[in-house]
Amino acid sequence: MATNSIKLLAPEAHRGLAELVAKRLGLKLTDTKLKRDPTGEVSFSIQESVRDQDIFIITQIGSGVVNDRVLELLVMINACKTASARRITSVLPNFPYARQDRKDKSRAPITAKLMADMLTTAGCDHVVTMDLHASQIQGFFDVPVDNLYAEPSVVRYIREHIKYNEAIIISPDAGGAKRAAALADRLDLNFALIHKERARANEVSKMVLVGDVTDKICIIVDDMADTCGTLAKAAEILLENRAQSVIAIVTHGVLSGKAIQNINDSKLDGVVCTNTVPFEEKMKSCPKLAVIDISAVLAESIRRLHNGESISYLFKHSPL
Amino acid sequence: MNNIVVFGGSSHPTLVNKICANLGIKSSQIKLGKFSNGETSISIGESVREKDVYVIQSGCGHVNDNFMELLILLNACKTASASRVTAVMPYFCYSRQPDIPYTAKGAPLISKPKESYTFESVPGTPVSSTVTTQKPRSPSDKVNANNNANSIMENMRSPKLQALEQPSPIRISDSGDLHKSPSMSRIPMVPERKENSSELGPLFNANNAGYKLWVAQAGTLIANLLTTAGADHVITMDLHDSQFQGFFDIPVDNLYCKPIAHNYIQYNIPNYQEAVIVSPDAGGAKRAASLADALEISFALIHKEKRSQLPKGPPDASLTSGGGAAVSKKPLISTMSSLALNSQDMKNSSSSSKYVQTTMLVGDVRNKTCIMVDDLVDTSYTITRAAKLLKDQGATKVYALITHGVFSGDALNRVSQSAIDKIIVTNTVPQENTVKFLGKDRVHVLDVSGIFGESIRRIHNGESISMLFEHGW
Repeated sequence: MATNSIKLLAPEAHRGLAELVAKRLGLKLTDTKLKRDPTGEVSFSIQESVRDQDIFIITQIGSGVVNDRVLELLVMINACKTASARRITSVLPNFPYARQDRKDKSRAPITAKLMADMLTTAGCDHVVTMDLHASQIQGFFDVPVDNLYAEPSVVRYIREHIKYNEAIIISPDAGGAKRAAALADRLDLNFALIHKERARANEVSKMVLVGDVTDKICIIVDDMADTCGTLAKAAEILLENRAQSVIAIVTHGVLSGKAIQNINDSKLDGVVCTNTVPFEEKMKSCPKLAVIDISAVLAESIRRLHNGESISYLFKHSPL
Repeated sequence: MNNIVVFGGSSHPTLVNKICANLGIKSSQIKLGKFSNGETSISIGESVREKDVYVIQSGCGHVNDNFMELLILLNACKTASASRVTAVMPYFCYSRQPDIPYTAKGAPLISKPKESYTFESVPGTPVSSTVTTQKPRSPSDKVNANNNANSIMENMRSPKLQALEQPSPIRISDSGDLHKSPSMSRIPMVPERKENSSELGPLFNANNAGYKLWVAQAGTLIANLLTTAGADHVITMDLHDSQFQGFFDIPVDNLYCKPIAHNYIQYNIPNYQEAVIVSPDAGGAKRAASLADALEISFALIHKEKRSQLPKGPPDASLTSGGGAAVSKKPLISTMSSLALNSQDMKNSSSSSKYVQTTMLVGDVRNKTCIMVDDLVDTSYTITRAAKLLKDQGATKVYALITHGVFSGDALNRVSQSAIDKIIVTNTVPQENTVKFLGKDRVHVLDVSGIFGESIRRIHNGESISMLFEHGW
């Protein structure tokens, strides 16, 4: 692995994160052309040789045209593969279709598994992702998957921006309890849980708070914020229980649909997302949004992967 | 029909219903939609356990969404224990294998720069003589001068062009789009002119061309993705390249629209025995020739000249300049014999752009009805240009017989203004818009649901489908 070098590729449309990573690695993004013909088919070309190089394709898949992004990524991987790249790593901070990871109804598709198969079929040798919705998705792949954590960066953010000795960590549902509890342990904070009680099938779910939040700064922690309905509701419950203020820290700010409106109308004091998903545009219309930059984590993991070093250090520590 | 389940994707519900009507069954319950973040969601409303499942999805509309929907559907059926899953793709998306990237608007970015480059043995040679100036040395000097003046004005208009002393008809102007590709083939005539690539970026720089391009070829990928998703069998129609079948590890049944086309011509085109089948490009010659053979009528071919040739080439070489359309009838080259080798300058109608497109017609179409046959119309540049050439060569009527009418961008507009008298297209891709836009008199839609229905029936029953290749349904 000594003779080859890192090549960073990113689709032109979403290069924000890739450029940050490239800057940290002291590299330039490889010149590529990604075009769509009028019918929507993707065509792709690379302007320099990638033979025997270590390829990292950084894709930010947010809301909206998910399928276009997925097909673009597959075509890019395949192009590198057929151009004799030594290893192709796709860096997918927000793994698409991660929530369709099980057969929750009869004949429901397990699209996350399909995504995994498709990436492997296209020629992907390694996957780097962050805060997978369910870490079991790693098992869907036949190739190594490195699931990075945003937690160290979140810890740093809380330490730097929030009076955390008055804070309490909240999990908005039972599923995220583990993640929230781990963060609470790291910060040595208390922990509370909001539980969705569903009495009967057609009844509106009722939210119940477990724990004491009186006069505390509540930090709601979750892996994904989509329409933000749950977050808004959770904020209401917390304030009803005499919380001092409520902010939400979320890894993947997909923010689709009416999310911006929901946040603006809600009692949340702020929503902090990492930049795994691009949302610069949305920040203009929503002053409550803030960003945690995770490009350092990705850059460091790329460097370590390329040099064959361990990346487990990054699970606990956030590089500067 | 026991044990058969037919699902339709969201791309072409009308065709699905027709195919199901043909099979005498109802298409199965299915819910298709999207989550708020744009991910595709499906839910299958019927049991498929141990059933023979057919999923019909055409590669039209929003291609990537439809393709993903198809993959997810196939996968869902497979994981729900279907005994066999067949993907029915009337129009197979990504079937064109670009050896060159597309422009933003769809035409190939470069037309074989490398080939044309070696042809001229690399820049070197001074290029003071451009296509225009070199051409009509003798008779039409006046027109030539005019033409040069035009070109210079052109130069002044486009900011990045500096070499005013080298006027040339080759130019990428703002209004230019798909004509680029053919015109690019002329680059070697004026190598070292970076200005040409001003709009398109470094990719187009003639100097940059050559082995500096790694282009994705999606064919194998698409085939592998279908197999990965769980397809056991693929049914499609008139694949652009029949070699595409070889990319799959599973059986691919490629149906032909030829029998229905044959039928249509026999019954609907008056005096079809006197008509000529025309292939609008060399790639489709085989398809057109086989139809001509079946109908026992004559055949002609339009050839787009891709290679640039020097004016001093063989006398019958059909190199022409595109500067002034008026000049085009030069006695110098048009050798009118029974097998005429005519050359024709095609000029974009808009006055600001002067793209040269050299096409030649092999065969005689004077006073005849022409039936152009092609498998796919996307931007419609090829067929509209071909239609004009045919009319210019004295064809009385021009029909276009197309299998997959994708008509992307402003293709319909172009078709409506073109010399095509009637367009005959199958419904592998929804054609409601086409009919609405061009009117019922100019469009005839051939129904392929019969062929697909019958092939599904036969495949389900394990019978041969080769009869459908010859006789249609």
